[in-house]
Amino acid sequence: MNRNCNGHGRRDFLQTGLSALGGLSLTEMLRHRAEAATPAGSDTRCIFIWLDGGPSHYETFDPKPDAPDGIRGDFKTIPTRVPGVHFSEHVPKLAKAFDKFTVIRSIAHNQNNHGAGNHYLTTGRPTPVPVGCGAFVTFHPSLGSVVASDRGVINGMPAYFNLGSMTRSGGPSFLGASNAPFVIADNPSQTNFRVRDVSIPKSLDPERAGSRRRLREELDRLTRIQESVAEDPAVAFDSYYEQAYRLVYSPGAQAAFDIGKEPDTVRDAYGRTDLGQRLLLARRLTEAGVPFVSVHYGGWDHHGDIFKKLKDDFLPKTDQAVSALINDLHQRGTLKNTLVVLLGEFGRTPKINPGAGRDHWSFAMSVLMAGAGIPGGQIVGATDVKGYYANENVYRPEDFAASIYTKMGIDHGQVLHDTANRPIQLIDRGHLIKELFA
Amino acid sequence: MNPFFWRLVAFLALPVIGRAGEPAPASLSFRNDILPILSGNGCNAGSCHAKQGGQNGFQLTIFGFDPAADYLEITRNARGRRIFPAAPEQSLLLLKATKRIDHEGGERIKPGSHDYRILVDWIRQGAPLEAPGEPSLQSIAVKPARGSYRKGQRQPIEVTALFSDGSKRVVTEYCEFQAPLKTFVDVSEEGMMQVGKTPGDGVVIVRYLDQVAVSRVAVPPDRTLPKSAYASLPVHNEIDRLSWKRFAELGILPSKPCGDAEFLRRASLDATGRLPSPGRARAFLADPAKDKRQRLVDELLADANWADHWATKWRDITVGNTQRIGVKPVYLLDHWIRRKFQENTPYDRFTRELLTAQGSSHRDGPVALFRDQRDPEMLSAYVSRIFLGVRLDCAKCHHHPSEKWSQDDYYQMAAFFNSLKSKGQNFISAPISGEPEELWFEPGGKTSHPVTGALMKAKPPGGSELPIPEGTDPRAVLVDWMVRPDNPYFARAVVNRIWGEFFGRGIVHPVDDFRESNPSVNDELLTWLAQDFVTHGFDLKHVMRRILNSALYQAGSLPNETNVADNTNFSRSLRRRLPAEVMLDAVCDVTGVRDSFDGLPLDSRAVRTWNNLLPSVFLTTFGRPDSSADCPCERMLSPTMTQALHLLNSEALVSKLAQSDSLPAKLAEGPMPTPVLVEELYLRVFSRLPNPEERTIAEKIFPASGDRRKAAEDLTWALLNSAEFVFNH
Repeated sequence: MNRNCNGHGRRDFLQTGLSALGGLSLTEMLRHRAEAATPAGSDTRCIFIWLDGGPSHYETFDPKPDAPDGIRGDFKTIPTRVPGVHFSEHVPKLAKAFDKFTVIRSIAHNQNNHGAGNHYLTTGRPTPVPVGCGAFVTFHPSLGSVVASDRGVINGMPAYFNLGSMTRSGGPSFLGASNAPFVIADNPSQTNFRVRDVSIPKSLDPERAGSRRRLREELDRLTRIQESVAEDPAVAFDSYYEQAYRLVYSPGAQAAFDIGKEPDTVRDAYGRTDLGQRLLLARRLTEAGVPFVSVHYGGWDHHGDIFKKLKDDFLPKTDQAVSALINDLHQRGTLKNTLVVLLGEFGRTPKINPGAGRDHWSFAMSVLMAGAGIPGGQIVGATDVKGYYANENVYRPEDFAASIYTKMGIDHGQVLHDTANRPIQLIDRGHLIKELFA
Repeated sequence: MNPFFWRLVAFLALPVIGRAGEPAPASLSFRNDILPILSGNGCNAGSCHAKQGGQNGFQLTIFGFDPAADYLEITRNARGRRIFPAAPEQSLLLLKATKRIDHEGGERIKPGSHDYRILVDWIRQGAPLEAPGEPSLQSIAVKPARGSYRKGQRQPIEVTALFSDGSKRVVTEYCEFQAPLKTFVDVSEEGMMQVGKTPGDGVVIVRYLDQVAVSRVAVPPDRTLPKSAYASLPVHNEIDRLSWKRFAELGILPSKPCGDAEFLRRASLDATGRLPSPGRARAFLADPAKDKRQRLVDELLADANWADHWATKWRDITVGNTQRIGVKPVYLLDHWIRRKFQENTPYDRFTRELLTAQGSSHRDGPVALFRDQRDPEMLSAYVSRIFLGVRLDCAKCHHHPSEKWSQDDYYQMAAFFNSLKSKGQNFISAPISGEPEELWFEPGGKTSHPVTGALMKAKPPGGSELPIPEGTDPRAVLVDWMVRPDNPYFARAVVNRIWGEFFGRGIVHPVDDFRESNPSVNDELLTWLAQDFVTHGFDLKHVMRRILNSALYQAGSLPNETNVADNTNFSRSLRRRLPAEVMLDAVCDVTGVRDSFDGLPLDSRAVRTWNNLLPSVFLTTFGRPDSSADCPCERMLSPTMTQALHLLNSEALVSKLAQSDSLPAKLAEGPMPTPVLVEELYLRVFSRLPNPEERTIAEKIFPASGDRRKAAEDLTWALLNSAEFVFNH
């Protein structure tokens, strides 16, 4: 009995067959998809910004100016676009753009080390066994892999990109290699940056690439077994090569990869930093139809010297890049179908340690969410006056993941089957964060 | 709800049970009457109320494995609001199930239906858990239990429940039906079999509450072939005789034997994970001797690369994630496995040394297994699956949904691992190795059943209880049982795993999922292979030699008109993408330029990588197992789009080719005449000589004089991007 609770099969998704769309350009394809009777959210893309290490909620979106010394921290607060709501003084651009996003101050959980916290927040499930702090583990498919498996590859465009280092638990688990992220570790703020593997290698002139292609077609002579009952994997191999070529020779897709096409003013607005240019590339990829782009920004594990590091480096960079992304999407009219999420695996301890740092604290964290119908200028939930615990409208990582899936048009209660064919619910008891669906 | 109140209600309600024209059900019980209705209507499916935490606050046990808990949930929990004895039809249970009030699961039961009336009557009778002295369910019988059917035939299944008092009841409508091999037979929710169009053996699995039974389906071919068609087939060894016998039943013939070049390439890749060198290829192709294939097989099995190649496969199923158990233990276990394969340790001894390990995680390789599979429960599932081919995992929490395994089996197996003690740091902050953990056997461990609390005696699945002599490590007793010559699982599991590596799938498939409801495609063959393996001292190389020398393994990959639809009986060689490490090593061999890996000496081959998290875009793209999975054994061999992109466009591959010391460059700059150079590249990548047409195309791109490097690079690139390279065929 594989039907799920509301009577649908587990993969009643819109699946646009490639064969049906053979000759369409990417734009036509996107228009086609948009016009099809798609379930809510199925055209929504997501830019998932992962602050690996766990950003402090105090120094970002949940300052506690009235907390005692030793908790309050060095930073002052500033007013935001919304009267009565204050952020840290070091995110002024985000404070100004607050009319376009929601901050959830009340996500809490109990996985207080990096390995487990990463897994919980990027897959929506805690690890089934305890894992070490430094662990890179995958027991359940990540948000990006599930979206990739739902949407599939279109004209050779991978459905899930990971910009920067591979996020620890960002893999496909039992959904298989075809739903693994396409990782672009290189830094797009460098002048010689290129997205790997998607274009003709730079060292090869186009003419030579073309003659190589022709030579390959002439010499690839292994007889294909055309009868579909034979299930010849070489036939599948051909279709992937066909898609790959379509990507390589699609001007639209190639333009998306070429961040150099962006005017200098825009590149400057995002900041000429790794994060800034990755977010800009993420915007270009989502606009070209990629449904899920995860952007990795590590180093937020500030056990020492937190104020200096945040003030001099992490916060200005984040403030500029993320506010630029949200404003840019808004101006381009694409924020309405682009979900922007900013978070790490947990918040940080109330008490400032002797090294002027804050340690891991999973009982409260702040998450920024924008786009895809999420109201602007909204604060969801709260922590207590000293910032120890989320204590109003408290949500779990399951609720967070369920809300993202719902925004993406994916049933978070669906039952998947692991490699042993055991049924596993995508998200266990996820309740939507209702404030995101106002 | 006050029990007295219920009795009162029941008393008052009694006179209205009987209805005209219908016998009054004497006394209904939750166990025997209600639970089947809940199951039959999917209420306690894993995706509905039986999922973790239930659905909407209402939680049932999966497949009703704990009737007492379900009874409590329905009659008492949520302040007893789910049933309303005073007005049974107004019970929440019925309002929901009939969707008279909002129910996410929709209308499961029609008002007025048979099920509906039973539920109403049961509530009216006071909703008893069981009727006094009622019989208990013993087993189910499926009719037909086996049969031979025409292609496309439809056949209803009838299921009868047998009770302790000898009574019977037809329960077909409350059963769940599954057909795992849909090519041969499919089944509707109502139990109607639909026989497929391909000859072979299928199975329909029937579940009624916690009982499982199977109906076996044989689909003979429309026409069989005359005996003479098989008489002329070559028989190299018993594998062939038993395979042709099975093929005769299925009406299929094996594909024509593969050519020498194809055999050379296939056998080299399968046995050693390496392409043959051009020199070896030339010599082999030119060798007129009749026994050259046998000699090649012996050479390959004696090749130094054999050990690393096969150690990698055992590492896949044995070694955990460095991030969970530490770098050093993973390194030591990897090293231990490689050494055991270098020594060609008999598999019984390998298993004994691994499964009875004691010592330090930072000194003794095999201890890492117990650092990863930490408790008796994990070991129960892991050892059963890897060494016996039995998947007990599901039976940890409930009766296996499609097999005979129960929680008893699971915890009895766990009891072999209950006398292990450990001390030291158990899980660690990677990438540091952490402190060592000592592991040792200490008598006196106990394992109890999670529901009944009963003390479990050590018993392997499908075996009988094994007495554990005083002071003996139960793990050693388990291994003694495994390696007995008549053990029904151990040898079959490993020969099937080896078979799967050579043929792309097991005789039982998946290779570690032996069960009645997953029949093998050739039982006689599997049994013979296992016996032959045991008789020959558990020697893995012996099994491999048998396989490599068989005419079956040496069949071609192109279908004939009888076997184009056969993807399971090995009547033609199935194309398999090269595994990640093998493919990367082949690319490096062809280009003459190595990759470098963290933590390995310069110029190491990919097959030497000792953990699956070592960074490598190539290996990640072509798939390594997820070493943090419960069983780190899945290797995805399907082609993907990102693989195509990587081979087509990767700067790494282009620069390997363009390097001045690359092999194609060196060849191009050397004195070799162009036709020989083309041959050399064909031999390197495809292990064969080009045919005349290919020669013409390839030679055409070379300039008559001057720099030949570009042409050599382009040709190598084109060959590497061909299906003939990417697949073993």
